[in-house]
Amino acid sequence: MSTTTADTVFERPAQRSWLPTVAIWVVLLTVPLWLPWIGGYTALAGRVLVLGLAAMALNFLLGFTGVMSFGHAAYFGLGCYGTGLTLKYLSDSTPLAMLVGILLGGIAGTVFGALIVRRRGVYFAMVTIAFGQICYYVAYRWNSLTGGDDGLRGFQRQPLHIGNWIIDIQNNPVLFYYFIAAVFAVCIGLMAFLLRSPFGRTLLAIRENERRARFLGIPVERHIWLSFSISCFFTAAAGSLYALLNNFADPMTLHFTLSGEIVIMAVMGGMRAFWGPLVGAAVFVVLQDYISSMTVNWMSFIGLLFVLVVLFFPRGLLGFVRAYSEK
Amino acid sequence: MDSRIIAGIGRRSLIKAGVALGALPLAAPAIIEARGETPVKIGMIDPLTGVYSAFAQSEVQGAQYAVASLNKSGGILGRQIELLVEDSANDVGTGVQKARKLIDRDQVNAIFGDVNSAIAYALSQVTNEKKVLQIVPGGHTDPITGKDCKWNVFRICNTTTMDATAISGTLLEKFGKRWFFITPDYAYGHTLQAAFVKNLKAAGGEYEGDMLPLSTSDFSATLIKARAYKPQVLLNNMGGQAQINCMKQFIQFGMNKEMALGGALFELESILSVPPEARSGWWDMEWWWDQPGVPHVAEFVAGIKAATNKPASARHWFGFVAIHTVKIAAEKAKSLDAIKMAHALEDEVLPPEVALQPGKIAYRAGDHELMANIFTGEVHPAKGSNPASVFTTAKLVPGEKAAGPVADTGCHMTFPSA
Repeated sequence: MSTTTADTVFERPAQRSWLPTVAIWVVLLTVPLWLPWIGGYTALAGRVLVLGLAAMALNFLLGFTGVMSFGHAAYFGLGCYGTGLTLKYLSDSTPLAMLVGILLGGIAGTVFGALIVRRRGVYFAMVTIAFGQICYYVAYRWNSLTGGDDGLRGFQRQPLHIGNWIIDIQNNPVLFYYFIAAVFAVCIGLMAFLLRSPFGRTLLAIRENERRARFLGIPVERHIWLSFSISCFFTAAAGSLYALLNNFADPMTLHFTLSGEIVIMAVMGGMRAFWGPLVGAAVFVVLQDYISSMTVNWMSFIGLLFVLVVLFFPRGLLGFVRAYSEK
Repeated sequence: MDSRIIAGIGRRSLIKAGVALGALPLAAPAIIEARGETPVKIGMIDPLTGVYSAFAQSEVQGAQYAVASLNKSGGILGRQIELLVEDSANDVGTGVQKARKLIDRDQVNAIFGDVNSAIAYALSQVTNEKKVLQIVPGGHTDPITGKDCKWNVFRICNTTTMDATAISGTLLEKFGKRWFFITPDYAYGHTLQAAFVKNLKAAGGEYEGDMLPLSTSDFSATLIKARAYKPQVLLNNMGGQAQINCMKQFIQFGMNKEMALGGALFELESILSVPPEARSGWWDMEWWWDQPGVPHVAEFVAGIKAATNKPASARHWFGFVAIHTVKIAAEKAKSLDAIKMAHALEDEVLPPEVALQPGKIAYRAGDHELMANIFTGEVHPAKGSNPASVFTTAKLVPGEKAAGPVADTGCHMTFPSA
């Protein structure tokens, strides 16, 4: 009996058709063609991808390892500040700035993670919030370096130089969108690869039954720590892109309210589905964009939607669609 | 046969189709039909939620009042004006995002904003990058028209230096040289306190103070500290709801019997929200509704009262002037091009029906700061039958005098080559 459960849990990704993946990529790559026709703009699509990446990175931990972090904005924000500070003070190389941002957020996540992983459940979530808020207050109070509450201004993403080619992501929003899409593709490709590896399967085993995994001799803490660290590196990558998207970094990117929003995106989209968080992020960002122009109470609508999703589609929007199509 | 299936379509499919149809307008805004003349679009970003919401609402109402009256008389360049209001939620990141949305999606001809200095400052980077005219109605921090001034950014409210300089002499003279500051920890507070400290030190005074987050609601620790320091005057530099909360606690602690109150801004919206005992001290007003004998003022005050049922405040005037500024710029430049409008505005004197105060009020070419008068005087409980009679102007300080020469602001204005 237990084998059947394990089979369904483990084998589903392999059995999945490649069709949805292709469909998602076709939609993502043609965005600049159709988005203006339905009243969108390219920067909005960029936001969807960036927050989608953050939500998918969180879901690596939440959906595939089974532990809840409420402090992921910290690593997103550190990625953001790392990139912004590098562009402002050190170098005008976009790739170098991104590397610094990713390393800053990722290494902070790895260090904090080592201290957090021995806790479980609500304690784990609370400690992640605490570490996140430490980062927020450092950025908030360190006026001379980070600009404090005013945010970090005075940097711009720079064109990419590849050999003799110059890709002007600075002034061409469509090129910059494709740059985000390329980074997004690399990140989620790596995540998908990791999830299909024996390491990823071990994470699923921990999610399904931690005690059994421990009895099988799996070093559970070390695996959760690694998963936390990997998740933070990808979240920092999203933060780094966010700094480039806005040419701006502000302390609210480190605040736990953003952590909560990332969790909402992941849960709303469907945390057991690989693409679920991207769908959640798209719904969240687009709704926020439209409704916030109409009413200042836009958050109530997101809240209402979230409640409805949790009540009626506990597997999230994508989880519901998939369950329905398999019926 | 299943009776629920009608013409081969299941009940569920029917419901789903209905839901999908119903949701369609949500997915895409209705496509606007082609019109003979497209409106002049102005985007206004203000913190409609958060501690500054009262100020933001007044600014928006002032702008809406101006739009309504101008649209009746031909709008701008014969085109109607469309005001698109966005909430920055008092958060810099949200404000920046809204500016990109208004510029990229709505293709606005000008951007107004924001009450919050930090957001106004951050917006100036975005509007400059996108080459869109920006009017800052009410964000005071110095660098916006100082060391970070930009060719496309014009400001209506005063700089923090102007506000501090206008009132410092009065505070020193009336109360003494021992001051305590309660200051918000962001762009506005930093430059405001620095300006006050500069004036205080020049007079040989001493001070202490606390920098607190803008959204602070409990001031007890700071007020205890202030009481122990025994200052002659407490400068409450907080803004909006934070300033109101601080004033209420100041009264609850009975500190109004121990020290005077004063500072740069204690705006009409805030005065009306504090208990009568807290309505005291010497302050700046950036515009005041009670100006007997000054043309057009009474008309504006009555218009705002009729439109909003509120007394006209400086914030209403800021929003009103912002809309008129775009009109003046566009009609002088005969174009909505940002560079041409910016050139047109330099040293352009506002007509009396817009200036609504004595003297020649113009955007100074050197730093794009509006050289408006500063009304310094005393705040008191309402006098007579009008509940808004809570301030008496003692002195009108001309903008140029409070601002000092352009060279002192650190602004070097450069235009892009067209």
